[in-house]
Amino acid sequence: MKKYVFYPGCVMQTEQYAYEMSIREVLPLLDIELVDMKDFSCCSTPLKSVNEMLALGLSARNLALAEKEGLDVFAPCSICHLGLSECKHILDSNPSMKIKVNNFLADENLEYKGTSNIVHTVDLLHDIVKIDKIKKAVNNPLNKIKVATHYGCHLIRPSEIGRPVDSENPQKMETILKAIGAETFDYAEKLDCCGGLLNANLPESALTKTGQKLQSVKENGFDVFVDACPWCHRQFDAKQEQAGKTIAKTLDVPVLYLTQILGVALGIKKEKLGFNLNNSPVDTLKLGGN
Amino acid sequence: MSIVDLTSMAESQADVKTEINNRLEKLQNEFSEYCYQCAKCTSGCEAHKLLELEPHSIVALLKRGLIDEMVNSDLIWTCMSCFKCRERCPQKVAPVDIIFALKNMVVARGNQIPGNYSTMLQSVLSIGLLQDIKEVTTNDNKTIKRSDLDLPDISKPEDVAKFQMFLSKIAVEKV
Amino acid sequence: MAKRIGVFICHCGENIASKVDVEQLRKYAENLDNVVVSKTHKYICSEGGANEIKETIKKYKLNGLVTASCSPRMHEHTFRKIVKDGGLNPFNLEIANIREQCSWIHDDRKIATTKAKKILRGAVAKAGLLESLVAPKVKVKPGAMVIGGGIAGIQSALDLAEKGHKVYLVEKSPTIGGRMAQLDKTFPTLDCSGCILTPKMKEVSSNPNITLLTYSEVTNIEGSIGNYNVNVKKKARYVDLKACKGCGDCAVACRLHDRIDCEFDMGLGKRSAIYVPFAQAIPPKYTIDKDTCLMFTKGKCGTGPLCVEACPENCIDFKQKDTEVNIEVGVIIVATGYDVLDPSAMNEYSYANCKDVITTLEMERLISSAGPTDGKILKPSNGEEPKSVTFLLCVGSRDETECSWCCRIGCMSALKQAYLLKEKLGDKVEINICYTDIRSFGKGYEEFYRKIRGMNINFFRGRPSEVKDNKENLKIDIFDTTTNKLFEITTDLVVLTPAIVPRDDADVFSRLVRISQSADGFLLEAHPKLRPMDTFTSGIFIAGSCQGPKDVQDSVAHASGAASRAANILSKEEYETEPFISIVNEDLCSGCATCISVCPYDAITLEKQKDDTSIAKVDETLCMGCGACVVACPSGAMQQQGFKDKQILAMIDAYAKED
Repeated sequence: MKKYVFYPGCVMQTEQYAYEMSIREVLPLLDIELVDMKDFSCCSTPLKSVNEMLALGLSARNLALAEKEGLDVFAPCSICHLGLSECKHILDSNPSMKIKVNNFLADENLEYKGTSNIVHTVDLLHDIVKIDKIKKAVNNPLNKIKVATHYGCHLIRPSEIGRPVDSENPQKMETILKAIGAETFDYAEKLDCCGGLLNANLPESALTKTGQKLQSVKENGFDVFVDACPWCHRQFDAKQEQAGKTIAKTLDVPVLYLTQILGVALGIKKEKLGFNLNNSPVDTLKLGGN
Repeated sequence: MSIVDLTSMAESQADVKTEINNRLEKLQNEFSEYCYQCAKCTSGCEAHKLLELEPHSIVALLKRGLIDEMVNSDLIWTCMSCFKCRERCPQKVAPVDIIFALKNMVVARGNQIPGNYSTMLQSVLSIGLLQDIKEVTTNDNKTIKRSDLDLPDISKPEDVAKFQMFLSKIAVEKV
Repeated sequence: MAKRIGVFICHCGENIASKVDVEQLRKYAENLDNVVVSKTHKYICSEGGANEIKETIKKYKLNGLVTASCSPRMHEHTFRKIVKDGGLNPFNLEIANIREQCSWIHDDRKIATTKAKKILRGAVAKAGLLESLVAPKVKVKPGAMVIGGGIAGIQSALDLAEKGHKVYLVEKSPTIGGRMAQLDKTFPTLDCSGCILTPKMKEVSSNPNITLLTYSEVTNIEGSIGNYNVNVKKKARYVDLKACKGCGDCAVACRLHDRIDCEFDMGLGKRSAIYVPFAQAIPPKYTIDKDTCLMFTKGKCGTGPLCVEACPENCIDFKQKDTEVNIEVGVIIVATGYDVLDPSAMNEYSYANCKDVITTLEMERLISSAGPTDGKILKPSNGEEPKSVTFLLCVGSRDETECSWCCRIGCMSALKQAYLLKEKLGDKVEINICYTDIRSFGKGYEEFYRKIRGMNINFFRGRPSEVKDNKENLKIDIFDTTTNKLFEITTDLVVLTPAIVPRDDADVFSRLVRISQSADGFLLEAHPKLRPMDTFTSGIFIAGSCQGPKDVQDSVAHASGAASRAANILSKEEYETEPFISIVNEDLCSGCATCISVCPYDAITLEKQKDDTSIAKVDETLCMGCGACVVACPSGAMQQQGFKDKQILAMIDAYAKED
């Protein structure tokens, strides 16, 4: 069993429950144990626009808390993962910044040491659990369903601080999906942004971006769209209907979390994976024999 | 009106420019002076087609020290933080980070923050999360909260007062 | 004999005088041991300065000179000559560098002057112990080796041969010609590349002074200037060169006919396992590629090799082996050329997974009438004519994440190819050029650019962020800074101008030849302005793009220059090297041979004496004066002339004195 401190972030905990449900169902079957911790706060990456120092400080606080367990951190939200990773990068490479932040953390009896690494769902599955183990755990292979992957900007960039997947040609999700019986192929808009962060001040533009990507997924003939971040999923799934209205098109694209579709292949019942919480037409999908 | 029109009569603010450049160097080891205006950032900018954001123009204006008008414009709030400009820039200049600095400047000057940012900030200040537990509608039209599901309690700051102290100190710290 | 030292302090205009109080320094020097006269001068490297030095030597009967001036790298040679002309042994000179190591790096005048005093007194202390030395003379072996048979190597070889010297031209591939042979036309004159290259290639093969060793590689170089010993491996071609008439029947018959990617066509065309790289190859002989030929990869070729059956001259011999030859030459010119950056490194441009995204070098092969499509412009994906071709400049160049340097030839290559495409396809084809700057710097280049601007070609000033593969076509978004608008280009064929990079074995090769690389990986010149063909290893020169990206005319000029520099050495029977070599104090040497074990140049041998003891002996022609043996010697018997322990210790003592 490999243990990770589970850093859930705000949106998954308070809204995108299906992601958390499917994660908690799938990972134990793959020998990953999640350690829940109290006292975490928002990573504040979405608030970088307001105050970068705040984002840096809160991310450092969360990492310092996790380090106390002596474990690496699993952050399933791409925005959290980038925020925590960038914080680690800055504090590890700039000693004076590290001292400055630790001075603030000292008031809470915390210290950022840089001993915990940070993983995301995609690299946890692909690099740690590894494909062989996933293949062996499959008992309900998906019958060649055509999957469009969405990595999301924050999972792939900026590569200079180290990201879980390649910035220009990410393929880890495709490898996982092929191993569980799905069919995948690249499409021109694969790396397009979901528009999620614009929700804060320009929601209509965010919906336009969302709608445009889903439209191209539909035109390419995919059966299902898979993502791995609550912000992205909220756009593509919860707001799909609004997105369709914004670009004046009917979308009707089934959208699933990576862990949901993986869970189906591992034989877990759809209710346990939060399928009823998806707002997109996931019930129309023929996912294996289950 | 494009950002270039807005700044045609502006005067240079050299000290503000130095402050921003210092911050970029400290945080991300970037130096905006190296930009040679190839516009690769704007060519790929996710916010350009929809919202007319021109990252390379932002850098050009910073180089000239014409910062106030950018700070006062709406354009800087159109950035989606997709980081494509940072990824692809051949001179390791990152318009996205310059834009973060400009947005921070707006907030620090006490100008109005657009949209939901203040709501999110308020929420972090009071409970430590961007939002509180929400009720969601299932696809068979039931409303569900986290407590209806078989999930552990949420993780959020236990000692709120202490957390707020920490927040208020670090929020006023200069980079 | 008592030392009588003269000190000359140079103002160097304002370079030294602005930061160092030279008059104070002059007075200070007067009081140092052994100094009989101390002067300053505005520019001691000038004619006036030189004369004053010579007069002072005579007037004060000096037997040692110290200059407080710029780095020895600048004028050591000049000053030694002045001292010699003044009647002294030229090695009774010591240079105190108070410019690069003092005035140029300190802002505070007081600090700079104090430091200058320190440096000067160290130099004077050493000068008090300098000895007259005799520069050893090396016999210069006749003959030169040119490594690399592209246009630069060819030009160097022809120039040296014309001067009457014997030249060995060594080329790794089966033919000479290099990159220029791959080009269709050259800019800005649009000369047919093959037409201007092949006469030179023919000259090389027929010149009695040139020995051509193709399909050969340098494996080891020993020796030093005037006296190089080079091992060359002649790779087996498995074809008898004398018998082969170049008819080509073997290649047509080959079981792998047209199945192997052709390197000359940059992978766009195919060849057989027995092949000639291109039609005008010199030598016009066939070669079997043992990495693909079935006789080597599988141990047999069907029921029997078809090339053998087809060959009318019976020249195929699978039993051939690589041979080694040892060649002695006086000088070496390295002309090993360049590579292009593989644009797969920049995944956003879809080069790796899209056949219709190609490099300029690949486009050159499509344009060439001897190329894989007989000169027809066809999309590699489906063989159809493109309706739109888009050039992207600076792919990987001027890029801190790939190659920070400008490739120098990208702009002109793209303009040239745009012209040739318009010539072939007329206005049927839309041509777009996306550029950041157009660098048309050479003679006739700007005029050529003007011509292209007038040819209904779309220029966009900006750099696309990505090339999207839409399966039926390619989409490029580019923000044009001249109109401040975003253009969405739909195109059929994308041509990338890739960065020009050093050969991928440049670091291994540079260590083999014992020359340095610059930060960008290209071979390092001795001085970028004044000695661009020399290296820091005397007797070894560099020519062409191996030193940095160049177009054909600059390569030719550089190569002729290198040949001239090399000929300077070959024209002498004897070459004076420096006397800073190691010598053995035979009274102290115990024959422990520690020095031999550390010498990188194999310059030391153990010589048996009459009383059966052994002592070390240094071959002064091989010793490069690195000093490793001096450090290793446990008894202090090994000393380096001009840098003896007592001389260095005197300098250190002088530095360490209280100010």
